[in-house]
Amino acid sequence: MIKARHNIVLLSATAWLLLVAVGCGPTPSASFRPNMVEATKQRLTVDQERQVATVLLAMFGTPDDPVALPETGLDESKLRLAAGPVRSDIVGRKNGLYREHCAHCHGVTGDALGPTAAFLNPYPRDYRPGVFKFKSTERADKPTHADLVRVLHNGIAGTSMPSFALLPEIQVDALAEYVKYLTIRGETELALMRAFFELDDDAGGKLPETREFLVYETLTPAAEKWRAAADAEIQVPEMPSDIDLVASIAKGKELFYGDKANCVKCHGVTGLGDGQANDYDDWNKAIVEVEKEVKSGAAKAREASTAGMSPDELAEHRAQLAWLEKFHGVLDGDALAPRTIPPRNLRHGIYRGGRRPLDLYYRIHAGINGAPMPAAKGTVPPEDIWHIVNYVRSLPYELDGELGADRPMVARDRF
Amino acid sequence: MIHRSLNVPHLVACLLVGATAVLLCFGALVTTYDAAMAVPDWPATYGHNMFLFPFAEWFWGPWDLFLEHGHRLLGALVGLITLALAAVVWLQSPKEASLKSTVRGLVVAAVLLVVLQGLLGGARVLLDDKTVAKVHACTGPLFFAVAVAIAALTGRNGTSAATGPSIESRVSLGLLGAAYVQLVAGAQLRHLDVATVAPATFRWLVAIHVFGAVAVMALAFAAAVCCRGQASPGARRWSLAIAGLVCCQVALGIGAWFVSWGIPSGWLPAAWMPSEPLAARSAGGAAVITGHVVLGMLILGVAVALAIATGLFAGRGTRVALQPRPPRDGRPERAYA
Ligand code: HEC
Ligand code: HEC
Repeated sequence: MIKARHNIVLLSATAWLLLVAVGCGPTPSASFRPNMVEATKQRLTVDQERQVATVLLAMFGTPDDPVALPETGLDESKLRLAAGPVRSDIVGRKNGLYREHCAHCHGVTGDALGPTAAFLNPYPRDYRPGVFKFKSTERADKPTHADLVRVLHNGIAGTSMPSFALLPEIQVDALAEYVKYLTIRGETELALMRAFFELDDDAGGKLPETREFLVYETLTPAAEKWRAAADAEIQVPEMPSDIDLVASIAKGKELFYGDKANCVKCHGVTGLGDGQANDYDDWNKAIVEVEKEVKSGAAKAREASTAGMSPDELAEHRAQLAWLEKFHGVLDGDALAPRTIPPRNLRHGIYRGGRRPLDLYYRIHAGINGAPMPAAKGTVPPEDIWHIVNYVRSLPYELDGELGADRPMVARDRF
Repeated sequence: MIHRSLNVPHLVACLLVGATAVLLCFGALVTTYDAAMAVPDWPATYGHNMFLFPFAEWFWGPWDLFLEHGHRLLGALVGLITLALAAVVWLQSPKEASLKSTVRGLVVAAVLLVVLQGLLGGARVLLDDKTVAKVHACTGPLFFAVAVAIAALTGRNGTSAATGPSIESRVSLGLLGAAYVQLVAGAQLRHLDVATVAPATFRWLVAIHVFGAVAVMALAFAAAVCCRGQASPGARRWSLAIAGLVCCQVALGIGAWFVSWGIPSGWLPAAWMPSEPLAARSAGGAAVITGHVVLGMLILGVAVALAIATGLFAGRGTRVALQPRPPRDGRPERAYA
């Protein structure tokens, strides 16, 4: 029928229009996103935000064209492999690895604000604060390069972080280097934004743009921690050999429920991770706290009567309101809705930081940086940590009937 | 045995559909493996005339070069077949006037589209632009749809038992449109420029694609139900095929999400979470993602066949309705032209 033919013309035309509407306009080039939450928190002016951006541009370049000052200790050739849009270079090597494999979750800036991040639980890592969880170093230390490579190689079981074991080693190595680059950049950005707070009055609200300040005082300390990590691996004692596994597990159990290690507080008397479950990790906690501040600030500001205010007070009141409003908008656009971090269900036998006994030793010894999981170091002697490791490793195989049946009452009573 | 003269246009059109399907698979793989920029120049390949690029270097070369250069060679082949089809159709068109003009119109569209598509492919490489990539990805299936339409119309049944704008023809047309919109939305998601896209835009695209999936599914089942009764056997067959394919497509879509963007942990009950993380860039994963794209195009093709079998392009007044529908509750059925 004629009508049907008109229909199809109409249909194709609509389809093309849709196409044009959805995807057109030349693709803009990539740029790093400023850390707006921190900038707003520090009440930076537009000029100050601009100064930070300019300084960072000079020190670190752009996502397409990274720069690594010698003080960072980073290998720029590796960064070039990982940076930029996806393409093959003149010798057929794949470039743009980070954007191909990571950016949709971790964001081009490494701020965990990639397009797919909001769908994930846990959220991808925001590198900018420089905090990493699964490593062979003490809690507050950076991971070693080998730690990052291991995380990339193994992925993080039980989360959406995939394994990149199928990529050539050289690519994984370049990606690990690029993670460090983004982290050092993010840490430097934070340091710069916080530095405004400590400026002298006569500085005119501008950071000094000297090598002394920017490189030696700001960049070097951030980079130095990464270099120090290489020699900061936890010294792990031999697993005690004078005690058989059953006895070791029994000892570990005692420690697990005991007052000192107090693992039950969070992991629950059953080990199902049903203890204290309403806590946040550091990244989410920062947002929760800021949200609280903004909300209570807004409530207070709304209640305040402006009647008796002097012009100065009134101006300050208005500035405060504007700041709160801005912050509200920033939180909407630049932060994901906070999620709690449940303690691990130890009966699944899925360990995010790796399932080797050594990995569990590191986790229990140093705790999990950025997460509420505390370090047993200091409260439990190093050899005894092996007993806890053995007990934790036995938990997935304990019979269901035993769940909590013979748990010491002391632990349960504490809640 | 009845002697029937060889239907050359139909044969060439079928060849075109087959070659295009392979071409689309290569195109989908190029995107899956991010291989579009594996060859930095165009129309030459690393300085060689495209057709003279050393075979061994291509065939045994790096995987992404194999895909991209193969995609270009296949594209050229499809272009040539399209030209051959145009020649054949001009020499031997269907006898019926309206069908003849429709087929000729479609062939002209095919030639224009294949040229446009080749140029878009070149522009995508030369400009290294994701927007062009998106348009290139949306034009491919459009060409495929036209090829399928030509094959269906030149076939023995042509427009077969078309009865004009019946309910099933409308549903089929809606299905065709929805299937194409899904391909457009899917292309936007696949060619996401992760460096610049706003998360809100991404969420909108996802919403459109998921809602589109529901719509396609509903329309596919509606088509299958509508075509049960009076429709031609072709329509019945195609509608059942499409309903089945759409079910597979939804499963593949969920899989493609998991493989490309991670399992949204916390959505699945903890006990269902795989104990091993997914391996990025696994062959199985690539197969799932590419399969989702290719099946989407296949669904579009089948939707074209279904739409034609239910009366799209039915001749002007030359085809007689099989059976006028009986009036409902005494009211006369609306008369169609
Ligand atoms: C599907 C989303 C996704 C992709 C793709 C992804 N990650 Fe992750 N990544 C995550 C999640 C989620 C976490 C956090 C897991 C957690 O907190 O337990 C994470 C954590 C990390 C960590 C932190 C590990 C630690 O010890 O704290 C690093 C480093 C990392 N990813 C690097 C990468 C790199 C490099 C790539 C690309 C090669 C990549 N990720 C790709 C989701 C992803
Ligand atoms: C303050 C609460 C808290 C206490 C006390 C605590 N944990 Fe945890 N634990 C957590 C949280 C939260 C996680 C999950 C961290 C994450 O997902 O990053 C966790 C994770 C773990 C993991 C999983 C590591 C991995 O690789 O996935 C193990 C094993 C573990 N804890 C063992 C212990 C042991 C043994 C103790 C006692 C020495 C203990 N925990 C004490 C909160 C706690």
